[in-house]
Amino acid sequence: MQFVHTMAAAAATNTTWTPQTLADRAVDSVPHSLWLTAGYFLLAVVGVAALLSFLGMALIYIERKIAAHFQCRLGPTRVGPFGLLQTLADTLKLVFKEDFVPPKADRSLHMLAPFLALLVPVVLLALIPYSPNVQVADLNIGILFITAIGGFGVMGILIAGWSSNNKWSMIGAMRAGAQIISYELSATLALLVVVLFSGTMSLTGIVLSQQEGWWIWRGHAAGFVAFLIYLVASTADLNRTPFDIPEGESELTAGFHTEYSGLRFAFFFLAEFINMFTVSALTATLFLGGWMPFHVGDWTGFNAAMDTIPPGIWFLAKTTAVIFVIMWFRWTFPRLRVDQLMHLEWKVLLPLGFANLFVAAVVVLTELYPFPLGK
Amino acid sequence: MIADAVYTVMFYGFSAAVVILALAAVNMRQLLRAALALMGMLALSAALYIMLRAEFLAGVQILVYVGGIVVLIVFAIMLTRSSELLEDLPRTSTRWYGGVASILFMLVACGALCMTPFPVQSNAEPAGDEIRKIGLALLEQGSSGYLLPFELISLLLLVAVIGGTVIARKTRPRNQPFTTGGDLHGEAIVQAARGQGDVTPGDRHS
Repeated sequence: MQFVHTMAAAAATNTTWTPQTLADRAVDSVPHSLWLTAGYFLLAVVGVAALLSFLGMALIYIERKIAAHFQCRLGPTRVGPFGLLQTLADTLKLVFKEDFVPPKADRSLHMLAPFLALLVPVVLLALIPYSPNVQVADLNIGILFITAIGGFGVMGILIAGWSSNNKWSMIGAMRAGAQIISYELSATLALLVVVLFSGTMSLTGIVLSQQEGWWIWRGHAAGFVAFLIYLVASTADLNRTPFDIPEGESELTAGFHTEYSGLRFAFFFLAEFINMFTVSALTATLFLGGWMPFHVGDWTGFNAAMDTIPPGIWFLAKTTAVIFVIMWFRWTFPRLRVDQLMHLEWKVLLPLGFANLFVAAVVVLTELYPFPLGK
Repeated sequence: MIADAVYTVMFYGFSAAVVILALAAVNMRQLLRAALALMGMLALSAALYIMLRAEFLAGVQILVYVGGIVVLIVFAIMLTRSSELLEDLPRTSTRWYGGVASILFMLVACGALCMTPFPVQSNAEPAGDEIRKIGLALLEQGSSGYLLPFELISLLLLVAVIGGTVIARKTRPRNQPFTTGGDLHGEAIVQAARGQGDVTPGDRHS
């Protein structure tokens, strides 16, 4: 057993990661040249904006294709090769569409709401560690900040519904608000399990803490249950099927964004898809090792082979897998009723989350990890 | 030195915005806009905390106030239609009492501000250690610990949760003293009007 431990430690020390974020580089460059600092700042802004628009278009295309194949259809095929330019065409259409504000709506709030909704995914994109050297900023309070910033998203949806002066929007917004603030509790409890395991709230710190094994299996059942709870609760946070009653087409036309059109509607749409990406990326970062390569104990050859794949590819592969699962949900589960939704959160997920946190605390306290700690 | 200048300008800019938004939150006639101004003010004061290297406090500020309290205020406004009603102007005597109370509170606050020494720390500790210290202090029993207040707060929250449940509860199960009866009274009136005989509160289960 001792031999296995030393081998694992040796395999782990083969590669030492020294992550550096854009913010670190910018701070380091302040004494040398302020132009360089401004350059890093500009790079961060342009990078996040480019990622935002690229991800939006790519995810919508992927969603349409996956949905189509689940239903034995082909999906978009006409515009460009394999229909690749379809979302580009749709985006252009949305940009040039009339931006209509209902006459009796609260005009300024109606215009503010999409920006509040888009604020959350934009900030989150800057915090995600894509690879050791690709991350805009790593906060010491990362996890706390991620849970905190979700409040702005809820506000965006609530204000959108209220300011539209339409009862469908209003009901949709209330449903969305109630759903999101309920399921945020379970999601946060699941995140706390990982914080407990890794002893840090910084996202890069959490990735580095998974060098000997990903938290999904290193924390016994507690890690796996936390992963499941987080996946379910964050799907509900995203307002995606099976939790999409806030915009249930059969009852509410389109829910809180019924009265939105053109670019402002596109903002809500974009926010929803980017939120799906950030949730998947966070799931990958917290439970599946982020950009860490897949290692198995003392299989040195296997581990070396895995190390040859760049960390960015690992991150992308894990995130894509989670995105696929979330899209898969949509064609597998029927939509929940309001009372079933609340029942699931308050009587199933929340007690389970508390019990799981307790078990995780016991695991950490007794140091019963199935893999050695890298201390 | 340009960096310092930028820092100073940003700090005073945020401070001015906080003051303006706080005034807007008090003076807006529309409740929902007042709540939004409050949200902006709380978020910008979190920005001030970050500039002062108190990241944990900033995170908690946004989590509790923006994500919790302002969202609840907005919920309450949306559920009650009070956003369309203008409140009655208070009586003259009430205004006087309010004015005197707020002036007195301001004097106390200013006095406390002037009399407290604020030692300047040029190099604050990194936030990771700060969180650890806060966590340890909350569970420490000695004179430097805050175990008793921490537990008292949890008791207070428990009381609030139970109180909320009792108020929200509609009907009274048999032989349970701790209920308000909810809207049974109104329901009895409705059923009496329908001619379904007299209904006494407590007849219905759950």
